Amino acid sequence: MSSLRQVWLVAAREMRERSRSRAFRASVVVMILIVVGVIVAPSLLSSGSAPRNIGLAGSVPTDLASTIQVQSKASGMTVRVHSYSSIAAGEEATRRSRVDVLVVDARKLEWRGQTDEKLRGVVASAIQLVAVRARATSAGISEQDLLAIVAPVPIANTALGSVAGRSKDDETAAMIMMVLLFISITTYGNLVLTGVVEEKASRVVEVLLARIPARNLLAGKVAGIGLLGLAQIAVTALAALVATSSVDSFDVPAARGAVLAWVVVWFVLGYALYAMVYGALGSLASRTEDAQSVAGPVQFVLIAGYFVSFGAIGSPDSSWARVLSFFPATAPLTMPVRIAMGTAAWWEPAVALALTVLTIAGLVELGGRVYTRAVLHSGPTLKLRDVWRDHHAPERNVSPGRAASSGTARSPRRARRHSGSVATIARRSG
Amino acid sequence: MLEFDRATKQFARVAALDDCSFVAKSGRLTGFLGPNGAGKTTAMRAVFGLVELDAGAVRWNDAPIATAERARFGYMPEERGLYPRMRVRDQLLYLGRLCGRGRVDVNRSVNTWLEQLGLAERASDRLDALSHGNQQRVQLIAALINEPDLLVLDEPFSGLDPLAIASMAELLATVAQAGATVLFSSHQLDLVEDLCEDVVIIDHGRVVLAGELEALRAAVPDRFVDIHTRGPAPDWSSLSSARVVACHDGHTRLRVDRATDLGQVIGLARHTADLVSFAYQPPTLSELFRDAVAS
Repeated sequence: MSSLRQVWLVAAREMRERSRSRAFRASVVVMILIVVGVIVAPSLLSSGSAPRNIGLAGSVPTDLASTIQVQSKASGMTVRVHSYSSIAAGEEATRRSRVDVLVVDARKLEWRGQTDEKLRGVVASAIQLVAVRARATSAGISEQDLLAIVAPVPIANTALGSVAGRSKDDETAAMIMMVLLFISITTYGNLVLTGVVEEKASRVVEVLLARIPARNLLAGKVAGIGLLGLAQIAVTALAALVATSSVDSFDVPAARGAVLAWVVVWFVLGYALYAMVYGALGSLASRTEDAQSVAGPVQFVLIAGYFVSFGAIGSPDSSWARVLSFFPATAPLTMPVRIAMGTAAWWEPAVALALTVLTIAGLVELGGRVYTRAVLHSGPTLKLRDVWRDHHAPERNVSPGRAASSGTARSPRRARRHSGSVATIARRSG
Repeated sequence: MLEFDRATKQFARVAALDDCSFVAKSGRLTGFLGPNGAGKTTAMRAVFGLVELDAGAVRWNDAPIATAERARFGYMPEERGLYPRMRVRDQLLYLGRLCGRGRVDVNRSVNTWLEQLGLAERASDRLDALSHGNQQRVQLIAALINEPDLLVLDEPFSGLDPLAIASMAELLATVAQAGATVLFSSHQLDLVEDLCEDVVIIDHGRVVLAGELEALRAAVPDRFVDIHTRGPAPDWSSLSSARVVACHDGHTRLRVDRATDLGQVIGLARHTADLVSFAYQPPTLSELFRDAVAS
């Protein structure tokens, strides 16, 4: 049977068994909900969509209601204007939150709670306009001249982002993508780690390796879990794409299709890179409890990459961000940020991609070697150095618990032999 | 035929296999014996490439063993292990397909074996929902799922109850009768004596005794006399050529050489007591084992 077929069988098992778990299914749904929620929520919550209620009471100029309507339309707000026969009735309506603000005698604003600055601006400018119009008429200025004088100057309102062509929204989008990449790479990398350790701990690995080479087992595991992760992130990216196109006010260059496609590519690369390391390190531990401590250094690198990439959102064209976006360990998080922020030249992702792929190829070789040598060793957690120096598979150590449960008494000679090999390892690592 | 040819493997400071040579023939059960730490597990692992030999070779039908050959082998490691959370049927299907067999083909084998070992109703249960004994059965099916030509089992009888031991023994005999080579290690020498045609005894990684069990027993110059007497115990020390191996409740086991005059032994017994039974036998496997390992 070809190696490829074995790898595929292993990968298929990983996908089948893992996609059955409820935790996995829940995580897929939750991630989609979060991403779609982040995109859609602002447009649902924005003040422009929900109509605001304005109450008028006391002495009200005749054209105030219509002027408020005109002003609010100009600032993208929908308002309803209600007239009250007395101030007391108006205030009662305000207290019951039927209106957001009550305009008393066209010179006093009464709020139920906090002042809504945007609404205040609209109402205040309407009051000013009505007053100016009244004074102009009494000063003998014609309606036409007046309109020319008070014609509003359109004012654009932009939040300046850290780089040209990108706004605060782009930074938010880049951040969300980077966080999702980090979460996905960490989650799926850890699945490889625990998967390897579990196979060792349950001893099934010996049954498997009697049938297929260690390399094929590791490759299949990494591929299967990776394909599952790829499916999840692709579905999430697709949901993001659908959500952005369904919300018409949404225009964030950092979240366009091409950027989302890069995010998927960088997930594949980042996952492959870290999964190989996680898999190799996982083979050093024999118990699931030891898995996390063995993988500590990688977790640290990954978290460090996360924080620097966070910083890179604010200064994506700085020289350090540039360097880190090429460095294979941080590239999967930093380069997508620079792509999203539009500061990566066309060739830069290509070069970073090539460097990362080369690193992955190296890690497949190194990680495969570590895994092959260490995965059959049971007993205390191995040190990377021991695996490296020892060209022979280390001797199997029977842990005391196992020996007792197997029901056979170990001869003193056997015991000596075991302590001998443990001592050897200890000496080497010390 | 499985052949170990001067297999040698050194771990740290211990020689696990030291110039180890023997064969296990097809259609026969070969018992693989030795004290703990003698190198049995290392030898078995070497068949599956789980241990890389420093020198020598393991051959199958005179050819070196590679992944293609291993697809026709079955293995039950000493440390049993399967996926605890995987369903029994899925698990066996997976392991069968890893040997390169088609889905339909493996499925048929899975059904047959589950049926035969009384696990058909548990096929969709997770492995960890099964009792210890049933998990052992699944482990055995995992080794048999590719209908192997060579079956290697490391301590297949350890942890089994007497009924399970009997059915396991019967099953192994059936597999061997069907033409497969069966090599298994065990410390239950009486069982091996009943079950195996051939034995291989190793110690310190070296073969100390190997061959057909009957021939090995016959070749030993010593014989054993089992005497059951009633009444006062005879004074065996007057027999110069006999040594008392065991004596309790009138049952005596004497070690004699072939030249010993049996009439003299019987006469001594009848002189002091009533003779109930008398047997003259070659050594048991346990005695062969002890002699071989002690020397």
